[in-house]
Amino acid sequence: MEITPSLIALQLVTGIALGAVYALLAVGLSLIFGMLTVVNFAHGAFFMVGAFVGLYFLGLTGNFWFSLVLTPLVVGAIGLVTERFLVRPLYGRGIDYPLLLTFGLSWVLIEAMRTLFGIEGLPSSTPAELRGSVDLGIGFFPKYRLFLIAATAVVVAALWLFLEKTRYGLIVRAGSRDGEICQVLGIDIARVWLTVFAIGTAIAGLSGVLAAPTRAVNPEMGIPVLAESFVVTVVGGMGSLPGAVVAGLLVGVVFSMTSLFAPDLAELSIFVLMAVVLLVRPQGFFGKAGLMG
Amino acid sequence: MKGLVDAIRRHRVAAVIAFLLVFPLLMPYQALAINILVFGLFAVGFNLLFGYTGLLSFGHAAFLGVGSYLTGIAMVSMGLPWGVALLLGVVSAALAGLLIGYLAIRTRGIYFSMVTLALAQIVYYAFYKAERWTGGENGLRGIQVPAAEIFGFQFDFLDPTTKYYVILAFVAAALWFVSRVLASPFGAVIEAVRENEKRAAACGYDVARTKLLVFVLSAAICGLAGALRALHLSVVPIDSLHYLLSGQAVMMCLLGGMGTFFGPFIGAGLFLTLEDVATTYTTHWMAIVGAVFMVFVLFFPAGVWGSFLKRIERKP
Amino acid sequence: MSSTIPIVEVEGVSKRFGQFVALNKVTARFEPRRLSAIIGPNGAGKSTFFNVLSGAFPPSEGRLKFKGRDITGLPQHGFARIGIAKSFQITNVFKQLSAHENVRVAVQMRKSRYELFKPRAAMAELGERADALLERVGLVALRERPAADLAHGQQRALEVAMALAAEPELLLMDEPTAGMSPEETVVMMDLITALAAERSVILVEHKMKLVMGICERLLVLHHGEFLAEGTPDEIRHNDDVKRVYLGQG
Repeated sequence: MEITPSLIALQLVTGIALGAVYALLAVGLSLIFGMLTVVNFAHGAFFMVGAFVGLYFLGLTGNFWFSLVLTPLVVGAIGLVTERFLVRPLYGRGIDYPLLLTFGLSWVLIEAMRTLFGIEGLPSSTPAELRGSVDLGIGFFPKYRLFLIAATAVVVAALWLFLEKTRYGLIVRAGSRDGEICQVLGIDIARVWLTVFAIGTAIAGLSGVLAAPTRAVNPEMGIPVLAESFVVTVVGGMGSLPGAVVAGLLVGVVFSMTSLFAPDLAELSIFVLMAVVLLVRPQGFFGKAGLMG
Repeated sequence: MKGLVDAIRRHRVAAVIAFLLVFPLLMPYQALAINILVFGLFAVGFNLLFGYTGLLSFGHAAFLGVGSYLTGIAMVSMGLPWGVALLLGVVSAALAGLLIGYLAIRTRGIYFSMVTLALAQIVYYAFYKAERWTGGENGLRGIQVPAAEIFGFQFDFLDPTTKYYVILAFVAAALWFVSRVLASPFGAVIEAVRENEKRAAACGYDVARTKLLVFVLSAAICGLAGALRALHLSVVPIDSLHYLLSGQAVMMCLLGGMGTFFGPFIGAGLFLTLEDVATTYTTHWMAIVGAVFMVFVLFFPAGVWGSFLKRIERKP
Repeated sequence: MSSTIPIVEVEGVSKRFGQFVALNKVTARFEPRRLSAIIGPNGAGKSTFFNVLSGAFPPSEGRLKFKGRDITGLPQHGFARIGIAKSFQITNVFKQLSAHENVRVAVQMRKSRYELFKPRAAMAELGERADALLERVGLVALRERPAADLAHGQQRALEVAMALAAEPELLLMDEPTAGMSPEETVVMMDLITALAAERSVILVEHKMKLVMGICERLLVLHHGEFLAEGTPDEIRHNDDVKRVYLGQG
């Protein structure tokens, strides 16, 4: 296959589309970490649940937009229950415990989806309205992937507005679980924890339903995704939302460009990127020094 | 009761070995017993870093896997005798521990878990792609320990009982080593680092170097477990390197009792027996094990052995 | 102007945290075998100065010298090894370990850090020295007690024992009497005075009465800058100092 500039450009856009999913995942992870100091090891599982729930609603209603709205609500609800009953008892205990718990939870979620939907997974396809390609000038590009990029931008913008312009957002940005600021503003801190965890997992679920048409949907699909979201978070800087977005896009592009030139090394390349960042700037591009290394 | 437990703890290596000597007689079948031996050692190696030093690594499958693969490759591709191959496996795992440890220790606290997971995945993908040496997706096959005559005894590794006791010999040696390290001056430094890093540094201990040394030791022990596993299974499945296996080490350690000498073995036994029983009755064993683990995290974080110790140590 | 080499000195030391300047070009020297204190109103930068002196972090600018040797940028663990030990403002001990083990592991630093095979039970002299230090700070009766179970004042005494374990020529103490009852404070100050007879001691202190009473030399910081230096009498009569403290209202 001849490598032309337009091919490279197309691959770049593919990378951005892939990166959009990564960015969303990393944003959810960073949100939960920034507020609760919890690394959600079930994040990949929530992504996977989102994909399944999305396809389920699509099958039920035939309406993609419906499933797009409902899925994060359902996944967020699971996140809500998780925080309230499983994670919250562990806050005082030690920094590793919520992590360990979410890891155990991921096993339960994977098995639950296997039971509900079968070990083969579900067939997924692009929703009718978004099929086909668009001529970008440099070549034809799948309409759905453009939609992915746009949808991510909308979600990130909405989140930004929430964080910058609302009282809740102010507390989340203050980024502390201890919440003196909550007392000042008269907000129940427990409710903030709940909200943040629910939003974080809802975003993971949303990225799952968005990503479903672009990959195989099976109960194991979230397993590599967890590792990949960690890469993005390390590169961008844990707890940093701009870092999550920039790093997500970067990782997506690195993956897709490596796929073009050295397809065998594609998966490896993003982990090597992370290793390099660890050597050179352990706190990530946007992370605060002293947080890491 | 306390007196008995104290006596057991004072002679902990002997106690474990004595138990493991009779263990096969308690188990329904040898393969499970051998599995518990191998994974018990895996958990012991992991426990050195997690339970005793306080570093939660999610990448220890890399060391188990490297130990397995390098031992296998040495025997299959290079035709080396199994003793040499074993050594190669352990040394390679220790080297991997040095590399991964060096990078991971640059991070603090909770990031360490994420970073170790991701770094170990590099090893996974690298071995996956190196099909010529590793067999890729299908794993490495054809690892055979030839029958031999040692001191007039016919030694057939394929006989499960022989296999068990040969592996036990290595596990016993490793346990003795771990026990010595824990009882050494360095063992006290490890504890201090776990308790309070800042304080340990203020006392004059190089915390980063200490962590790295423990990391390498831990990797070597897990590498030995991997090497023994390769000999046991005669194959090395690619999943040996996957972080799900790292997670199993974590689970075993917590279930049994982290930071205790006996805990990891008890945890491995519990985990593998539970898995064995669960798979007999249902296909949903992953959910069962995951749920049991969550229960322990929430209500019995000291694990089976740790909780037992706490109970008997409670002042009257 | 003394001709002896100062035990520790800082030259033009500044420390910035992002935009915030905590220390601004501070130059000071401390003579050996003295009991000195660093004082100043809230926000003067005393804690930051202490942290630079004790190696918690390097200065953004300037040099730190110990016995004439430039040790700027030396990592934390190097400080105890060359003879600078410290106790923290917020008590920092090994909570789950016994008082004895806390001190024993501190003592062990000088003898053994990476030995893997020797049983530490064979190093009886470390345990003996630990008990001797516990005796010195009045804790030997509590040697088996987990550090977490000790009273606040006792934990602070434990920290002193651990600092002494490094056989320091310079002992740095950050608000050693913080949170102590009057009785505990007296005991601690007596201990500090006794220690100052054998080595150099530098305190950071809030309580003016304490430092005025026992210290030989004071360094006053204000807004992260050097304000004044001298004997308690000189400082008491220093116009700048009076203005800064009284002006606090």
